Amino acid sequence: MSRLSAELRLILRSRMGVGSLLLLLLLSSLAVWSGIAQMERQRETIARVSGEQRRDFAGVAATHGKPDGDAGYAAYYSFLLTHDAPPPLAFAAIGQRDIQPFVLRVRALGLQQQLYDAEAINAELALPGVFDWAFVLVYLAPLIIIALMHDLVTGEREGGRLRLLLSLPGQGLWRRRIGLRYALVLFALAVPFAVGAIVTHAPVAGTAAMLLVAALYLAFWAGCALLVGTAMRASASAAAALIGCWILLTLVVPTLASAAIARAIPAAKGIDLTLAQREIVHHGWDIAKQDTFERFFLNHPEWRGREGFEGRFHWKWLFAMHQVGDEAVARDVAAYRASLIARERWSERVGYLLPGVAAQGALHRIADTDPFGQFAYQDRIAAFHDRLRHFFYPYLFTDRPFTRADFARMPTFAPRLPSGAVPAAPLLALAVVAALLLSAGSRRVARISGADRA
Amino acid sequence: MSAATRIAREEWRALLRNRAGVIATLLLVALVLVASFVSIERRDRIEADRARYQASVDAGFDRQPDRHPHRMVHYGQFVFRPIAPLAFFDAGIDSYTGNTIFLEGHRQNSANFAEARQSSLLLRFGQLTPAFVLQTLAPLLLIFLGFASVARERERGTLRLLLAQGLDGRTLLGGKLLAQAAVALAVAAPAFVVLAGFALAGVAGWGATLLLMLGYAAWLLLWALLAVLVSAWAHDSRAALAALIGLWLIGVILLPRALPEAAAAQVVLPTRIETEIALHRDLARIGDSHDPDDPYFNGFRQQVLARYGVSRIEDLPVQYAGLVGMEGERLSTALYARAAADSAGREARQNRFVHAFAALSPLIAIRQVSMALTASDPAAHLDFLDQAEAFRYRFVQTLNRMQAELIPHIGGEDPRVSADNWKRVPRFAYRSYDPLRDAGAIRRSLLVLAGWLAGLGLLFAVTARRIGRVAR
Amino acid sequence: MLQRKMLRARRDLTIIEGTNAAILLSGVRHSYGPRAVLRDLDLTVRRGEIYALLGGNGAGKSTTLNALLGFIAPSAGAVRICGVDPVTQPAQARALLAYVPESVALYDHLSARENVDYFLALAGAARDRPSVIDPALEAVGLPVHAWDARVSGFSKGMRQKVAIALALARHVPVLLLDEPTSGLDPQATLEFNRLLDTARARDVAVLMVTHDLLSAVDVADRIGFLADGRIDEERTATAGSARFDLNALHARYAQPRAAA
Repeated sequence: MSRLSAELRLILRSRMGVGSLLLLLLLSSLAVWSGIAQMERQRETIARVSGEQRRDFAGVAATHGKPDGDAGYAAYYSFLLTHDAPPPLAFAAIGQRDIQPFVLRVRALGLQQQLYDAEAINAELALPGVFDWAFVLVYLAPLIIIALMHDLVTGEREGGRLRLLLSLPGQGLWRRRIGLRYALVLFALAVPFAVGAIVTHAPVAGTAAMLLVAALYLAFWAGCALLVGTAMRASASAAAALIGCWILLTLVVPTLASAAIARAIPAAKGIDLTLAQREIVHHGWDIAKQDTFERFFLNHPEWRGREGFEGRFHWKWLFAMHQVGDEAVARDVAAYRASLIARERWSERVGYLLPGVAAQGALHRIADTDPFGQFAYQDRIAAFHDRLRHFFYPYLFTDRPFTRADFARMPTFAPRLPSGAVPAAPLLALAVVAALLLSAGSRRVARISGADRA
Repeated sequence: MSAATRIAREEWRALLRNRAGVIATLLLVALVLVASFVSIERRDRIEADRARYQASVDAGFDRQPDRHPHRMVHYGQFVFRPIAPLAFFDAGIDSYTGNTIFLEGHRQNSANFAEARQSSLLLRFGQLTPAFVLQTLAPLLLIFLGFASVARERERGTLRLLLAQGLDGRTLLGGKLLAQAAVALAVAAPAFVVLAGFALAGVAGWGATLLLMLGYAAWLLLWALLAVLVSAWAHDSRAALAALIGLWLIGVILLPRALPEAAAAQVVLPTRIETEIALHRDLARIGDSHDPDDPYFNGFRQQVLARYGVSRIEDLPVQYAGLVGMEGERLSTALYARAAADSAGREARQNRFVHAFAALSPLIAIRQVSMALTASDPAAHLDFLDQAEAFRYRFVQTLNRMQAELIPHIGGEDPRVSADNWKRVPRFAYRSYDPLRDAGAIRRSLLVLAGWLAGLGLLFAVTARRIGRVAR
Repeated sequence: MLQRKMLRARRDLTIIEGTNAAILLSGVRHSYGPRAVLRDLDLTVRRGEIYALLGGNGAGKSTTLNALLGFIAPSAGAVRICGVDPVTQPAQARALLAYVPESVALYDHLSARENVDYFLALAGAARDRPSVIDPALEAVGLPVHAWDARVSGFSKGMRQKVAIALALARHVPVLLLDEPTSGLDPQATLEFNRLLDTARARDVAVLMVTHDLLSAVDVADRIGFLADGRIDEERTATAGSARFDLNALHARYAQPRAAA
């Protein structure tokens, strides 16, 4: 303990050490604060939109909720709000939440022409990426590790202290020094995050898992610093080499991988299915109504025999037509989703090689703010849309009047449950890489001898 | 040969001996070239895709059978945004904006299927374009090559030696700067050659291309200057490296990421949902065409009757519902335009807030210059949205007019207009955006870069005088 | 293989037995690749004795120190610090010795007191550090106003004092000095010599490796000449004011090295 406290004082008395740790603490605090503010703004937006929606819905109910009201008008003019409030840990890893919609209104018409609507975002603000705790961890913390550890051995050699240090009894000098620096960096990163997690009442398990990701990722960089630091003769070249590693691992290779994945797995199916759905729905106007109903009955046999109506138009026909349109593109929808999931899977595989990508992916999976979180929201919207349709069918197919009271009976959107999870494989890969580097580094550092003068 | 060029020659010799530096430089040049080719291929593919989609939906429109024109209003048209030729150089916001809009009557749909929404988080690490390499990575290379330029001489004691032999501080620093600046321009040269190729081929305008080169040259020179300056100030080369990396981190990585959050907190961007609800409220306030006692539409009816010189709707030579549709479209489009202008104004205010910090982080300035000149900036996107909206209004009104003019002559239970007419409906023809149309923003950003160069130049002069005195 | 090892151990043991040497090198050989640096080096220093090891560049002075510090494992022979082998038991051996490098480099951002405190903590002196540091700093004669000053402004002599204070504070029986007087001004050299007297009074075995004949003559009890990896000649101080015959020594020291 005494040796450890002596080491602690050695770091805390050095301007570089204290400066970089305080900087990290400051950045981490700012990031947590900014992340909480951003997520709070999303919640405010949801509250604001919900208020507007209530007023708008009340207006529709007043207009169409007559004693002899037609369910078709009600279904056509009732937009219902779905929303996806930020999960508790989103403040630390905002992910794609800044560009993915978190409010969307749907009505009982075809889902596929509504599901992909974009929300208003300022693309130029989104361009550089979000400033959150995950960013501080993935991009900035390695630089602090490099600043604190690149001259672990070379600094002592260049300072002329190496032989004196090695002549002293007692072992574990390097282990203590690496461990302490690592712990301090982790501490500076983790404290603001933990405070943020407490303030936002984040689940303990998720918080712990994110801290684990941070610990493993930093261990990887500590291992790198150790390995490169012991391989180089001069501090300046060690620093340059480590920053070179950082540039490659966090800037260059992820960018190349991203370009390769985008090239290899096109995601044009989204446009294809939208176009196909439009063709089918509009084609419905030009074919015999019975044809449309027959296709509708394949999945909705309970309404068979209730399709008949007088005149040229009945709402049940329109809604059946839209549903048939959705069903006809089901395969395209699945293919579209599959292409997005494939992109996601390949990114995960890239993470086996790039710790930054692995950490990024794991953090956002835990926080539930990655594309899978968005898929879960879309699935929730689809389920709600399903309930909405089925709510209207009895009115439409039995010509039951839709009154003011029926507006109150309309289903309301229930937000999705958190789907965050701890991805075991990338974390394991990260742990293995970190352990390999650290053990190789410790072997090298143990071989350092006072005999060879630099 | 002057003393300064002698110094520069020595510096080049030292740079060439630094194996890691040479490798890094070659890698960066290779990366610029790879990024160019990958990016050109990507742009061409996107462009081909969009063209193919545009052609297929246009043909699809022609193939529609006889229909009531209002059905065609809702069958609508898809438009796909063409991608500017120079957008290969800087993808700008292209991945973050939707690239297709479904246009129909009395609705303004969003531009959908932005690449960023369909990508994993990997995209947020940055996109491989020459702009990314030159904006983010090239400064790092210049830092690595330049951080020791003067500090090395000081550490080895050769600085005192040189100055003791009567070498002027200005000559020494000038020589060092000359060497580093030449490297900076050499690093950018491959990208410039590619750009020039586009201009020579007539694909891109010379004005935009040259300004783009000018901007990047200023940006890279700025870093060469900064590297030599910090190297001259620093106690030792390690301190110079730390200071330069710190500056890069703050200016290139941190501020550009942190500022948008501050901007978004300042100006609230309403959601499309709120905009739409507000719009419907405003429309309802104007009048309800289905209400026979509605004052606005009663007035409209009187005007129409007066224009055609008849007293009853039944006597009109045109379909009144079609005219009401046109009037409704006119009203809603005006409201949409107002909402879009409001939204664009808010976005512009947010962006202006960020741009104001260009004086702190010149990356913001070069990014503006680069995005604007490659027509991948918000202005270019807004121009596309405006064109699409103007087109939407034209094609919807064309169909509404068909309804008003043709339907009365057809009559019957299910009146349909002949499919031949669809070919008369206008198609979207994108007028390519001229980046120099509104050069104010570009000029401002270039001025910021020039200001940085001038400021650093001033510091350079002061430092050169000081170094001569101090080291002696 | 095992037998040979045991045999060698027994031989080593017989050498060590019967001596009360704090520092012992016996039949030590070492070579870097094909170049033999130490060839059958024998050397002993008793407690309370100051031994100056003189030699030109490349004579093997540093290698001798490295062997004593356990930084190298000699290919043959025995090295003992108070009977402990620094190669097989480095921690125990280092606990018995203090080493003062040629140019003492300390942590520039710490004060003299903090530096001693830090290195003491590393050496495992856990308790009561302040009560040993102050007397040690006083004993080496570091001016009191410098105790809490950052060492970045210290002269070489002052730094050396801090390092020797560290050695004294550790109360070790063996002190190894690497070129202690190089770069010291005459006043500092004088103070250094007085310091060694203090060490001798505390019954410390001092081995100083140097090529400074004058300084060696001033303080050493014995002087050994190291040439071609072995002790060529050894002189012991006689009582009286002229402890060594300086002229004879100088003639011996400056003679051209015999071809190997």
